[in-house]
Amino acid sequence: MTWLVWRQYRWQAAIAALLLAVFAAVVIATGLQMAAQWHSMLPACTRSSPCSATSASLGSQVGHDLVVLSLAVPVILGFLWGAPVVAHELETGTVNFAWAQSITKTRWLLVKAGWLLLAAAVWGGAVGALVTWWSGPRNAFYSEQFQPNYFDQQGIVPIGYAVFATALGIAAGAVTRRTLVAIAVTIGGFIGVRLLISQTLRAHYMAAVTAYYNPLGYYSPPGGAWVLSTGVVDKYGHVFSGGSAPQVNGVPVTAIPASCRGLLFRDLNTLSRGQVHQAVSCMQASGFRGFTTYQPASHYWPFQGIETGIYLALAAALLAVTVLVIRHRDA
Amino acid sequence: MNTAIETQGLSKRYRRVTALSDCSITVPESRICALIGPNGAGKTTLLRLLAGLARPTGGDVCVLGGTPRQDPEFIAGIGYLAQDIPLYRRLTAEDHIKAGAHLNPRWDGESARTRLRELAIPLDRAAGTLSGGQRAQVALALTLAKRPRLLLLDEPVAALDPLARRHFLGTLTAAVVLVGARKDTSALERAHTVVHAVRTARQSTLLVRLDGPVLDPAYEVSDVNLEELVLGYMGASAAPALAHLTAVGEDQ
Repeated sequence: MTWLVWRQYRWQAAIAALLLAVFAAVVIATGLQMAAQWHSMLPACTRSSPCSATSASLGSQVGHDLVVLSLAVPVILGFLWGAPVVAHELETGTVNFAWAQSITKTRWLLVKAGWLLLAAAVWGGAVGALVTWWSGPRNAFYSEQFQPNYFDQQGIVPIGYAVFATALGIAAGAVTRRTLVAIAVTIGGFIGVRLLISQTLRAHYMAAVTAYYNPLGYYSPPGGAWVLSTGVVDKYGHVFSGGSAPQVNGVPVTAIPASCRGLLFRDLNTLSRGQVHQAVSCMQASGFRGFTTYQPASHYWPFQGIETGIYLALAAALLAVTVLVIRHRDA
Repeated sequence: MNTAIETQGLSKRYRRVTALSDCSITVPESRICALIGPNGAGKTTLLRLLAGLARPTGGDVCVLGGTPRQDPEFIAGIGYLAQDIPLYRRLTAEDHIKAGAHLNPRWDGESARTRLRELAIPLDRAAGTLSGGQRAQVALALTLAKRPRLLLLDEPVAALDPLARRHFLGTLTAAVVLVGARKDTSALERAHTVVHAVRTARQSTLLVRLDGPVLDPAYEVSDVNLEELVLGYMGASAAPALAHLTAVGEDQ
């Protein structure tokens, strides 16, 4: 069976290897350039004026755009490799060649799907590894690797996405039996699941840390953290985080106790340090606190592991569904 | 004589459609059997049930002493050739023969190569570039190379012109007789039973006709035989039916 899979897919594998090589060449070229720029910036950075305080930008736009495009690699693998695996063979009737040999439908499916999922993991992992390496200087400079979109391009999650997208394509092909429909389901399903998980689930993988501080101040968590929300909370737990009404640091004027208003409504630039302190104390005495909820940088790798695990589990579930469909579908 | 196929009240329903209902047939070993019925009579369904590719929703079925199932040992005994002549368009005949060697325990790739060379069918050209008749011959050669105990052919000549059809059936008969006539006992034990589906006749019932044992080298399967056979069943209405059959034959 492995021999047949190789015979069927060797050209696709060769083309995919070629595309990966081209991608690697561009990423390595722009990455080396960016690394050189970073190393020339480093000596100028000191403790008092860290690199992140400079206004210079790092790397070229072309490299950056290309790396953002890597987010699409899993779904491309999903509809080019995954969707046709079962659907195209059902459409062209070639399953009847495979199933007429001395091999069960289940083994046929598992060997085919197994090699394709492995290939997807290798390609997804290779793209992810290249982007992770490329992003090294940017991560050091902007500390953005935990932010949405950047988190999704680096580390091990691209492996999970690629395996999931391919398994989704295979399952969609087995259920719908039509390559074009399977491609549409793969693209729609992949984008839907990715948005659902990155927008709603990801923030809750581990308990977030909340820092409280004075209601008129601001707080920046240690570098590399992922800030989930920030604002002011009153003593009843009511959260203020900006809006269109007249406000002070996100708190609507109407919510500020009358006793403090007099201290605040002056030209802020003319306030002395003591007056500011007085206003802060007044707000604090009334129960207002500033807060920032974030996932600390130390959660980065656990989050990568959890998210990859979720996608691999989804892929396993899809594969199980495909096996059941192939085994029980007769025609 | 042993029984190759036995079904009792075999039925198959797909959601709302009944594809086969209450089919009871018995086919002894070493026979050529034609399965005759119009479109929708359930010929393909019956063959898929016998090959273990579909599960019955009612009745009993016994093939080669066991229930058709997804089990390498059982499938190895069945040579099933689907109606649409399944070949990978981009792979060559040689690729298919090599794939068969990896997927079957008793593969005889050399016989397939010899047969295709005799027919002057190139082994090194993508199957998609071969003619319909050549593809049917490749598919038949692959099915025979599996050395199955039971051959199930689903309208293998439906796509062929009358000349190619005769040629194809000639190859089939020769191959079957050859296997049956081998002197070694193992080959005799493995003598073929051929179930050959034919689309013909206007009657809505599924007819099963048993013909002579394959060990008789004088026996010849051909379209003409099958048409006569159908006419035998249809009795009085023979003349108009013959005209109909001829027309059908030329359409295909």
